[in-house]
Amino acid sequence: MRAALQEALSRGWVRMVALVCAATVGARIAGAVLSSEIHFSATLAEPGKFSRLEVALLLIGSAISIALFFRRFGPILRIILRSKKDKDFSLRPIGRRVWDFFWEVLCQGKVIRQRPLPGLAHAFVFWGFLAFALVSLNHLANALELGFLRPGSYIGNFYFIFAAIWALLVAVSIAGLFVRRFLARPIWFGTKVSNESGVIAFLIFLLMVSYLGAFFVGDGGVAVKALWWTHTLTLLVFLPLIPHTKHLHLVLSPLTVFLKRDGFSKIPPLSSDEDFGLIAGKDVTQLISLQVYSCVECGRCTEHCPASNTGKVLNPKEIILGVQSYLNQSGPASDAPLLTEGLVDSRDNPPAKYMSMEAAFECTTCGSCEYQCPVGIQHLPIIIGLRRGATNTGAWEDTHGTKLFLALEKQGNALGLSAMERDKFIEKQAFPIFDGTQEYCLWLGCMGGYDPKGREIVADFARVMRHLGTSFGVLKKEKCTGDPARRLGNDLVFQTMAESGLKAFETAKVQKIVSICPHCVRTISNDWSEYGIAPEIEHHSEFMARHKDRLPQQASGESIVYHDPCYLGRYRDVYEAPREIVAMAGELVEAPRSHERSFCCGAGGGLAFLGEEQGERVSNVRAAELAATGAQVVGTACPFCNTMFRDALSSMGDAPPQLLDIAQLTARALPKMQEAGEQ
Amino acid sequence: MKILVAIKQVPERDAQIGIAADGRWIDESDLNYTINEPDAYALEEALQLKEKNGGEVVVMCAGPERAASTLREALAKGADRAIHIEAEDLGERDTLGVAQVLADAARDEAPDLILTGLQSEDLGLGQTGVVLAELLGIPHATIIMQVEKTDTGLRVKRELEDGWFQHVEMPLPALLTIQSGGNKLRYATLMGIKKAKTKETKTVQAAATASPSITLERVYLPEKQKKTEMLTGTPDEVATKLVEKLKFEVRVI
Repeated sequence: MRAALQEALSRGWVRMVALVCAATVGARIAGAVLSSEIHFSATLAEPGKFSRLEVALLLIGSAISIALFFRRFGPILRIILRSKKDKDFSLRPIGRRVWDFFWEVLCQGKVIRQRPLPGLAHAFVFWGFLAFALVSLNHLANALELGFLRPGSYIGNFYFIFAAIWALLVAVSIAGLFVRRFLARPIWFGTKVSNESGVIAFLIFLLMVSYLGAFFVGDGGVAVKALWWTHTLTLLVFLPLIPHTKHLHLVLSPLTVFLKRDGFSKIPPLSSDEDFGLIAGKDVTQLISLQVYSCVECGRCTEHCPASNTGKVLNPKEIILGVQSYLNQSGPASDAPLLTEGLVDSRDNPPAKYMSMEAAFECTTCGSCEYQCPVGIQHLPIIIGLRRGATNTGAWEDTHGTKLFLALEKQGNALGLSAMERDKFIEKQAFPIFDGTQEYCLWLGCMGGYDPKGREIVADFARVMRHLGTSFGVLKKEKCTGDPARRLGNDLVFQTMAESGLKAFETAKVQKIVSICPHCVRTISNDWSEYGIAPEIEHHSEFMARHKDRLPQQASGESIVYHDPCYLGRYRDVYEAPREIVAMAGELVEAPRSHERSFCCGAGGGLAFLGEEQGERVSNVRAAELAATGAQVVGTACPFCNTMFRDALSSMGDAPPQLLDIAQLTARALPKMQEAGEQ
Repeated sequence: MKILVAIKQVPERDAQIGIAADGRWIDESDLNYTINEPDAYALEEALQLKEKNGGEVVVMCAGPERAASTLREALAKGADRAIHIEAEDLGERDTLGVAQVLADAARDEAPDLILTGLQSEDLGLGQTGVVLAELLGIPHATIIMQVEKTDTGLRVKRELEDGWFQHVEMPLPALLTIQSGGNKLRYATLMGIKKAKTKETKTVQAAATASPSITLERVYLPEKQKKTEMLTGTPDEVATKLVEKLKFEVRVI
């Protein structure tokens, strides 16, 4: 068997190993380390006896290395542990946590899926490290004559070769990543070159090469000893660098992924009468501390952020790093405000107002950052936490924001119109009032009840329901779900709205709700749970997709590009239902950024109600992207997206694509008889 | 500077108003109440004056138990103390009667400045503030857009008609009735609501009703009137008749 194995090795991939090694690194090693001629052996060379001096040096070196590691890691650990406890934290559901750990950490699923090439390179480095753990342990143990993997043994030989393949993959991957970071330099890495990344990449490369080199030298020689020490010293230098750099994620991120808050964009309840959100260090919880120290500064969050991409101050990565610097400087018990209006130094980018109210209130809460983060950082509870701290205390003074809150307080809708306007609309559409006999309560929402375009969508969806023969009614009085207040951090208004809504459903004995607005669906089904149990709610795309067999198939041949609303896609994981509806109305076209990578329309997070944006309008960027697909129709599934694109498309000049909600796309094909019968 | 703000609780703007069975007041059941809008601006002005010049803001409101919620809101927005003048019979009191109970409470406080909205959204008489000033024997100014503290007293900006304004210097103590829209209102915050719980609300009983000098005989919803008159004749004659009517009957030209 040994012979067979050796033959296979000498012929197959090991020859490749040797070739690539010789080609890429062999020259350097040969020159620097090896004085003898290069020869290759399928077994790993062992260094000879270690002198007492060598053993002493190793032990001292290791002690220093470990001490240096803990000198930095200790304080970080203390900061995390001394942060405020997460009162709402629960390990359940454990299954989800185990799965996330398996998929995101062990399989590197997210990293690979969202950035295939660098993702795969990273995965190889990670898996290589796992494979290498035993080798490294054995490597150090050898000096103490405690080595457990013998090159001569079957297991030892197999494992060394196995690790060698990984070492090669790691070496190639890290070299590729090095080229990407220092030569290709994607913009989201920031403008400053990260030298530490270069050093780390070099150390990893050296680790691999010094391991692989042992296949090219004989047992017990000077060369193998030199390689051994190179490898060992690299390890000893590498260890203390981990907590000093973003490579701390090697230690923390598996834990972060496992412990992250359950649910997407989950905003934790305020923990006490003294808790108003993230105002100062004392409000930063353990999960937030753990997450900000896990940041690997890859910039995926910023790469996908609609604010960062359109010239705004907000940069989600810098928010995370800003909290991290704050904790380093002021600690988790500090009363100093987290949000400062001044310029904050950044590790990678020129100083900017990253930790400012301006930045915090530029977030559309689209959730791309949180969705993309490979190390389990949950940006939304942090950004919304900062907003809560500003809004709940009245520190946030914004004309439009105040107007919105007063409108919600007084009129009960975000548009600030008289509730009588909704009554008139209901009367005109002859919508029945929900009285407990109907199957569904049709929730209009602020857009459906007050906005002209939203009303068209609701009216068309009602036609679809009537066509299907589904009984429905609307509430006599309906207030906003509190979504914009929730996302802007106004817990007082949100709570008032949630409680009033829950009471309205209870009084009317509603069992099932359907709505055209993903924001309403999310807020009712998820955010309201802090104050009570809401009836089951679904989005009209889900409702229509379920009944699609009874909806008309159109042979229009029209090309329709579908835009995924953030609150339906990333927030609710509904991607296919609206596509099924679109596909029935014409030919479905995908935008360059679609599904979970969809780019926001700019309306979320209460921003639809705030003033003019800085820089480019998010809606213009997305509308241009959708129009550039050449599709004849832009299909939406959210009245906010619709209204944003209506303005953006109309400013685009000659013959912009038509803009229709999926309800409108369906209703236009309903038999005319039906229509006449209704009117 | 100690500022006393007199606020009134009125039905919400969108409320569907019905008439009570006796026809002398509105049906109060099923109504939601809120702060009278000009009073909200009076409170805002008081809070801003306090922020600039220091001092104390005390809010007072006459009304039944439900008035406490409006006082709590005012405390949440930043008022320091509240006085609830309990009166179940507000509808039966005339302006003088209401001003008297407010004056009783104001005398005990001896404020430097009293602010109130220029009129209420329900009755819209616009008299309470003025009568209150007379009862207390202090100067007053109405329809105020801006208030500035000076060394000797106040400098205020009054809104006149047709885009004209008047600036008036006046001594303290004084009473001002505030116009809506002069400032930007603030939103109530969670922290404000929490703090409001720890703030003092004094409850006093309104003195018994003296016989009112004005009584409400009948309250009714606006009656729709539509009167159509056809003018006949030649175009010239019709035009002449139309001009006459516009001049002497409608008096718009």
